[in-house]
Amino acid sequence: MNPDSYLYLSAILFSLGALGVLIRRDAIVVFMCIELMLNAANLAFVTFSRMHGRLDGQIFAFFTMVVAAAEVVVGLAIIITVFRTRRSASVDDANLLKY
Amino acid sequence: MPSILAASTAAASNTAPFTAPHVEWGKLSPMLIVLGAATMGVLVEAFAPRAARYRLQVGLTLLALAAAFAAVIALHDTPTSVAAAGAVAVDKTTLFFQGTILAISFIAVLVIAERRTEGGQDAFAAQGGSVPGSQQEREAVRAGWLTTEVYPLVLFSIGGMLLFPAANDLLTMFVALEVLSLPLYLVCGLARHRRLLSQEAALKYFLLGAFSSAFFLYGAALLYGYAGSVQLSNSDPHNPGIAQAVAAHAHGPALLYTGIALLGMGLLFKVGAAPFHMWTPDVYEGAPTPITGFMSAATKIAAFGALVRVLDVGLAGSVDVWRPVIEIVAILTMVVGGILALTQRNVKRMLAYSAILNAGYIIMALVSTGHDALASLLFFLPTYGIALVGSFAVVTLVRDAGGVEATDLSRWAGLGKSAPIPATLMSIFLLAFAGIPFTSIFVGKFAVFQAALAAGAPQLVIVAVLASAVAAFFYLRVIVVMFFSDPMPDGPTIANPSIAVKTALAVSALVTVAMGVAPAALLHLSNAAAVLAR
Amino acid sequence: MPPSTYAPVAATGVFTLTAWVVALPMIGAAILLLGGKRTNAWGHLLGCLAALGSFALGAVLFFSLLGKPGDARSYDQHVYTWIPVPGFSADAGFHLDQLSMTFVLLITGVGSLIHIYSVGYMAHDDNRRKFFAYLNLFLAAMLVLVLANNYLLLYAGWEGVGLASYLLIGFWQHKPSAAVAAKKAFIVNRVGDVGLSIAVMLMYTTFGGFAFTDVFNKAPGADRDTILGIGLMLLLGACAKSAQFPLQSWLLDAMEGPTPVSALIHAATMVTAGVYLIVRSHVIFDISPNARLLVTIVGAITLMMGAIIGCAKDDIKKALAGSTMSQIGYMVLGAGLGPIGYVFAIMHLVTHGFFKAGLFLGAGSVMHGMNDDVDMRHYGALRKYMPVTYVTFGLGYLAIIGCPPFSGFWSKDKIIEAAFAQGGTSGWVLGCTALLGALITAFYMTRVMLMTFFGEKRWVEDEQGHEAHPHESPKSMTIPMILLAVGSVFAGGLFSIGSSFANWLEPVTGRAEGHSPINTTVLSVITLVAVALGVGYAWRLYGTRTRPVPALAPAGSPLTRAARRDLYGDAFNEAAFMRTGQWLTRLLVYFDLRGVDGVVNGVAAGLGGSSSRFRRLQNGFVRSYALSMFGGAALLIAALLLVKA
Repeated sequence: MNPDSYLYLSAILFSLGALGVLIRRDAIVVFMCIELMLNAANLAFVTFSRMHGRLDGQIFAFFTMVVAAAEVVVGLAIIITVFRTRRSASVDDANLLKY
Repeated sequence: MPSILAASTAAASNTAPFTAPHVEWGKLSPMLIVLGAATMGVLVEAFAPRAARYRLQVGLTLLALAAAFAAVIALHDTPTSVAAAGAVAVDKTTLFFQGTILAISFIAVLVIAERRTEGGQDAFAAQGGSVPGSQQEREAVRAGWLTTEVYPLVLFSIGGMLLFPAANDLLTMFVALEVLSLPLYLVCGLARHRRLLSQEAALKYFLLGAFSSAFFLYGAALLYGYAGSVQLSNSDPHNPGIAQAVAAHAHGPALLYTGIALLGMGLLFKVGAAPFHMWTPDVYEGAPTPITGFMSAATKIAAFGALVRVLDVGLAGSVDVWRPVIEIVAILTMVVGGILALTQRNVKRMLAYSAILNAGYIIMALVSTGHDALASLLFFLPTYGIALVGSFAVVTLVRDAGGVEATDLSRWAGLGKSAPIPATLMSIFLLAFAGIPFTSIFVGKFAVFQAALAAGAPQLVIVAVLASAVAAFFYLRVIVVMFFSDPMPDGPTIANPSIAVKTALAVSALVTVAMGVAPAALLHLSNAAAVLAR
Repeated sequence: MPPSTYAPVAATGVFTLTAWVVALPMIGAAILLLGGKRTNAWGHLLGCLAALGSFALGAVLFFSLLGKPGDARSYDQHVYTWIPVPGFSADAGFHLDQLSMTFVLLITGVGSLIHIYSVGYMAHDDNRRKFFAYLNLFLAAMLVLVLANNYLLLYAGWEGVGLASYLLIGFWQHKPSAAVAAKKAFIVNRVGDVGLSIAVMLMYTTFGGFAFTDVFNKAPGADRDTILGIGLMLLLGACAKSAQFPLQSWLLDAMEGPTPVSALIHAATMVTAGVYLIVRSHVIFDISPNARLLVTIVGAITLMMGAIIGCAKDDIKKALAGSTMSQIGYMVLGAGLGPIGYVFAIMHLVTHGFFKAGLFLGAGSVMHGMNDDVDMRHYGALRKYMPVTYVTFGLGYLAIIGCPPFSGFWSKDKIIEAAFAQGGTSGWVLGCTALLGALITAFYMTRVMLMTFFGEKRWVEDEQGHEAHPHESPKSMTIPMILLAVGSVFAGGLFSIGSSFANWLEPVTGRAEGHSPINTTVLSVITLVAVALGVGYAWRLYGTRTRPVPALAPAGSPLTRAARRDLYGDAFNEAAFMRTGQWLTRLLVYFDLRGVDGVVNGVAAGLGGSSSRFRRLQNGFVRSYALSMFGGAALLIAALLLVKA
């Protein structure tokens, strides 16, 4: 199978993730969309790894997963705290700091 | 690491035995010391009794920073090389960045650790997880708890910052980026007062930061696809890095340029360049002020280090293509920072926009990959960083009733009369930001402008000079408010800080003036340090 | 002939002390200013020590220089490099040669004496410590000015002395006249500073550097019009600092400052900085005869104006100030004559430093005894009451009128001679002016002498009704006066016998022998006759018992009235600068309101407006921030692909 297709898929996933960040309000969903973007990058890495016949892209993907896990820890902590304070996880409600 | 991978690729095909890569522990020692101390800080947090934690953590942090700085000094004449199997570049530029970050962090930690301005309480929430205004929070405050987790978090962040400008491959750079960012997201949300704002700042910083690192990562993937390697540069002809691939003008330039754009966006986000700047004012305003001072200075320095490494080492071959784009970003950043700062009434926000403006100046130095441009950037960063830490330290001193910082400019009226010393210090920093001769930033700006002119970018210098003229207005306005208007009847009180903060302030002010009057030493140092492992 | 190349060698050994000559008073000023009230008790002593230490170092350097051959007395000491970035250099360093050495000795020597004098003079002033801080600051700035090895540092010193002068003229701020005078001096000096700064910028663009080495070695090859421009701008700077026509008006008002200040800054040292500037930049003026001609004209006009003003003033300090203007006019005239005059201009500067400082200190001593009254019409017969002041003042008087063998005779005579030696019509005009000036000098100085120390006593009660009871001043005041008087007596002879001073300076300034159309001996006799005429006329008016000096000034002739009003210097300023300035401002305001202001206000409003508008974009919503980032990333991609294509 032509590996280019995986690249297209990865681009589509990345764009979908970015779009989700832009249009979704719930912080958790926004965060999941970011994770989707990271995974799109992982897919691209793995595909390129395959195309170049080298392993470093796959290793990169593993590192990304670890980093993403760490990000989840931090991100959920922040989102939960905000939720507990405001009783809302909508990113549009957090709007005190502006101008 | 990539060469490890290369080795293992070879292992897969040739079934040769796997050889463990050689790690130069000595050359990595500054980072290892800081990260090791951070890990110990976690243990302290877990096992030390609550009462002893503050002293232990602060002592450990300062000791680690000093030891790491000593390690940098000891390494100062290491020949330019790459360590850890090509993952970390140890060259003069790296060491200069690391030394700068460590020195500025040391001063910043002195301010972060301040407890005296609020009678035994520091700038952080008694218990980060408690809901603001809840019974739980009140109890935590009454018990006098302190969020001493801040210190290991800051140390982890500093560890990431040390690695960031040293990273010689995109994987290390990405990991460093996350190691420096994740702890900062957390500490941003830990302010003792105005916790709603603080939490909002953390949320915004986190979401936007994660968003930008996704772009960085995708850019890295595209560059990997283009070059077949994530190493920025590798002189081994069998295992070429990105720089070598760019030089060879291999296939698929669209892949290359999209990659540059996305990767560049991730880094420009960290330095706060327009149009990726919008998080800066909100986060700087919401975060605890000592943290704002720390991250505005140290993060920016580290991020510029990474930008320099990517542009000057990895992408130097395509400078003709990215240079106009960097020029546009520089102009945009200066215009946005200069204009938006004009109408700010909040001192922290004003400083945030001023940080954007100054990022614009520094980006000017990136348009050339030459030695002089890098040297001017290396001079600018520490002088600017130290003045920034100092100015935020002054902000921590001006308090309204209840210990909340009085950040509204109108509250600063007459500060020159009621508190001449903090007002004078602030004036020194502001005059430096405004680029008044015989202050450090004047010299820094001069060097950067000169480098931009030499690189054939007079249009940047024109914009920069105009922006400086605009900027002088809002910097001097603060001085005018402090010294030429009468104090308010219920004006803010000026906290009497501990000797540590006094030291931090004195050192910052002294360096700011000394580097303006006699900058030769630092200029020579930055000149000598402008050597990259290519 | 002028030295062909300017190539100082790097200072080594004892010559590295040069920086300390400057550093000592600078440290003194810093301690006194930063130390505040804590240093009140011993501040004046520290000030004196700093000045004396600086003088001692100067003496050491002087004797070390003497030990070197004449053409090897030029040293450069690099102190620090301000901004060493590629393509720009602003090095600061000191240059020690015969010219700067002369000034160092004059500044620190006279400076030290005046420091000591001030201990007594300012004894009753609450702010004595601050006064000494300013004096030290002045010394440091003046030394920077004369020791700088580049024009940028020289400019820094130039501004520094201006600042010190401003602070000291206005030292008694509670007197409105002092505050106004300080402001006036400051503003007039700004005009000159602009001139000097333009000259410095022109030098940088023309020669690619500020250093004397750049300027002096490249000047002969540069465009003549540029050189003329630089010369004229330097002259403008010199005119303001040295109170030369048309920027002379501030000096008379500057006498509001304490008398030691008048002696040190407004007689002996700072006001001669213009002469130093011209002589130091002699390479520029050597190759630009037109600039030089203008210098001589300015000098000649000022020497006459100053002398005429000196005749009419009843205020003893203002009479002396007029005289200072006039004498500096001589120096400027001498400097404008080129290589035949440089040496004598500087020589007159040094001798003048001695006798004029002595005269001012004498005047201060008189005022000290007369309840700070400055009106000579209230003096008279003081010689019996203040014998030391009388004798030292008298010696200074003999020196200034040019009575042989006192100092002034030797130096002034040489300038008159050089003026005639210029040759041609201009030589005759300048020579006769200088000669006439000598006559008037003799007249007004005799007048001062007679009105103060001779005749009947005309003392009046002061405002509190205290009877004046003149008395000799304390030792700390009289000893400096005596030392200065010794200088007034012997300096000129010492310098002239065997042309020692001329030989000393020649390697720096070059020297040419002029050919006077009149035999030099005959010219000296003519000069002496002119002086005698002046003295005699003054004696007839003020010395004879039959015509006592009226205690109230008579109406006087139109010329006297004009001179009393500083020859309408202020009126001239008002008409020439203020009125036209006002017209110009009105005109400008007219256009300003419609054009420039509109633009400026428009820009300001535009910036403010756009700031208010654009900050709405910062709307606090994470998602719109993310959108801006997303859009930015898209733009980056588009831009990169666009550039590539």
